[in-house]
Amino acid sequence: MDMAGEDATVQLEKRNEEPLNYRDGNMSLQWKLNGNNLTNTSMVINPTSNSMIESLACSSDSMADSFAPSIWNQPIIGQSLGYCDLNVKNNASTSNTLGNGTGSFGPVRPNAMLKGSTFLPDFPVMLPPSLPHFPADSGFIERAARFSCFGGGNFVDMMSPFRISESLNPYTGDSLEVFMGNGSKSLPVMQSQRHEINAIECSKEVSLPVELGTESSPIKNDKMIENFPSSHDEAKYGIGVLAHESDEAEFSGSGFQEELEDAAGESSAKGLGSKKRKRTRQGTQLNVNNGGRQQATETAKDRAEIQQQGDQNQASSKPGGKHDKSGSQGSDLPKEEYIHVRARRGQATNSHSLAERVRREKISERMKFLQDLVPGCSKVTGKAVMLDEIINYVQSLQQQVEFLSMKLATVNPLLDFNIEGLLAKDPQAGPPSSLAFSSYMTTPYPPLQQLQTGTIQAVLPGLGCSSGPPQGLVKPQFSTVGGRLRESTSHVHCAWEDELHNIIRMGFNSNDPLNSQNLSSPLSSHMKTEH
Amino acid sequence: MKARMGNSTFLKQEFLKKWIKSLHIYSNFKKDMSILERKKVIKLSADVAIASTRNASTRWSRTVMANISKNETNRNKILAEQVFSDSGLIKRKASNGLMACSNRIKSKKILRRSHITQIRARKMGPHAFKASSIAKKLVKNRTQVLKSLVPGGENMDEISLIKETLDYIVSLRVQVDVMRRLASAAEHSTKSL
Repeated sequence: MDMAGEDATVQLEKRNEEPLNYRDGNMSLQWKLNGNNLTNTSMVINPTSNSMIESLACSSDSMADSFAPSIWNQPIIGQSLGYCDLNVKNNASTSNTLGNGTGSFGPVRPNAMLKGSTFLPDFPVMLPPSLPHFPADSGFIERAARFSCFGGGNFVDMMSPFRISESLNPYTGDSLEVFMGNGSKSLPVMQSQRHEINAIECSKEVSLPVELGTESSPIKNDKMIENFPSSHDEAKYGIGVLAHESDEAEFSGSGFQEELEDAAGESSAKGLGSKKRKRTRQGTQLNVNNGGRQQATETAKDRAEIQQQGDQNQASSKPGGKHDKSGSQGSDLPKEEYIHVRARRGQATNSHSLAERVRREKISERMKFLQDLVPGCSKVTGKAVMLDEIINYVQSLQQQVEFLSMKLATVNPLLDFNIEGLLAKDPQAGPPSSLAFSSYMTTPYPPLQQLQTGTIQAVLPGLGCSSGPPQGLVKPQFSTVGGRLRESTSHVHCAWEDELHNIIRMGFNSNDPLNSQNLSSPLSSHMKTEH
Repeated sequence: MKARMGNSTFLKQEFLKKWIKSLHIYSNFKKDMSILERKKVIKLSADVAIASTRNASTRWSRTVMANISKNETNRNKILAEQVFSDSGLIKRKASNGLMACSNRIKSKKILRRSHITQIRARKMGPHAFKASSIAKKLVKNRTQVLKSLVPGGENMDEISLIKETLDYIVSLRVQVDVMRRLASAAEHSTKSL
């Protein structure tokens, strides 16, 4: 065990070329120490874990040239070392389910398993710590799990809650810093790596109830991994579900809040079943739950303590404990962050079918968002037709890009798209011609705005005459143009007929639901509020 | 999702900035290009710009950058590197060549899927099973088409594919919108001469 650890440590140090804050060596050592403090070791798991770690180390070594994933491999290895040293009670059930877990990990495995990291998916599942005895480390592990299960979110946001938790937990020491270091560095790293980390780290936390309250906001109210199921089945789901995101900002946000509040009294027995919450699309809802997050951290920690003890009492919680859904799910569900999947009444409780169901629900979730995005899809149900629409839309967009680039090529003999020039030619560019700008970086905005105002005025007469646009909105709105130009919902001119009419309409009427997503606020609106 | 839509203006600005910048690089690099060359350059710059707004967080953006760096001439590489040297996107091209799944996992998936199919065939009536299998085939075909459309979508599983498609659609829309506006502005300015 130590040999593997040392080897991995050496490899870690060798591969630590990135300017990461955390200290690889320290981390792995820390993990080792942590492991030694714990109780019994399971020999069955450790050898396999060792082999996995070594293979993991080797595979990550081979990936040394591929930038970022290797970064993730390093902390993963360190953590894996820790877990190997962990005194895991080797349940027969867990060892039996290892194979299943590996198999079924596939479908829910995040796409983010990057090249070469083929061992990574297997690896976390192989460490199914059904750890009832994690007393001293519980708080730390929680936070680690919380931290690790983040992935999708803004790591910077994630840092602050962890600061709080770190201060409160004397145990954290370096390891949490390491995690946080990983987190901060992960931000520029690809999202897929986050998924990796999530998957891997969450697997570690299998047996620990973890308050992922802090993670909710970073993950953008994503699916939160709640009480770690003592069975790896649930860990599997945790891994799989964590790795994927879907857009559910509002829903998950509110759900999360509720869950946090209710969490206090729940025992970990209930923790095995809970409602599933989905992670929102990463990158979009950065600020959604910032306020709630801090709060969540505190409550989450409290709950963690309670759950920790409860969980210890419940060492023999049944593997893959899926309870049948009852009507009053909302009150029964432990409001923790944890991806629980409940078998519905009358449905198979087979772990595979449940994973399948999770997957299907995720897919349908995302299809819903696509429905919002693709115009004309709201009435369509069914995957095949939806996909057809999506394909058509993507094709049409790509063709539009081609066409527009050709048009731009014809319009301009030189590729100089001189914004200033565009404005200068405009006879009605009333605003002062202090259009000289040093660089195109900063100055496009005011000139563009002027361009728009000028051209809008120029275009208006043309548009007024040319059309009876089907929607009567256009003309009445033109009258407000003068007043609203300054408000800068003004859009660029549009000599084109239909679409441009729409654009103007969108621009003037920002409440227009039709294409509001696309044209909710034009460039100029941001010109005023310059970034 | 809704918050993301609020970011579209910011995206447009970013895209426009980068696009103009790269166009300037090109125009300084070579004068008097033919119309087709110009069109290619415009499209290329637009693709690079829109991909870079994602900062390599999505697979399609990485694929786009990788394709540009890999297939094109040195000029394009220089362009890409000049414009986006800070984001380090060029280095990421290595990621796109590798398969996401290992063979072992794939074979397990296949086994499991066939097993599930058998169970389902037995459970449902023969007609219902056929209908559902036809539906599945349709979905599968279309998924394949979608994978071919979205850059970098070949190796992805369905869930991530849909996510990538969402992101790609948003970016395409931004691209089209900005290009259209610029085109009409330029057209109008030349008309009004």
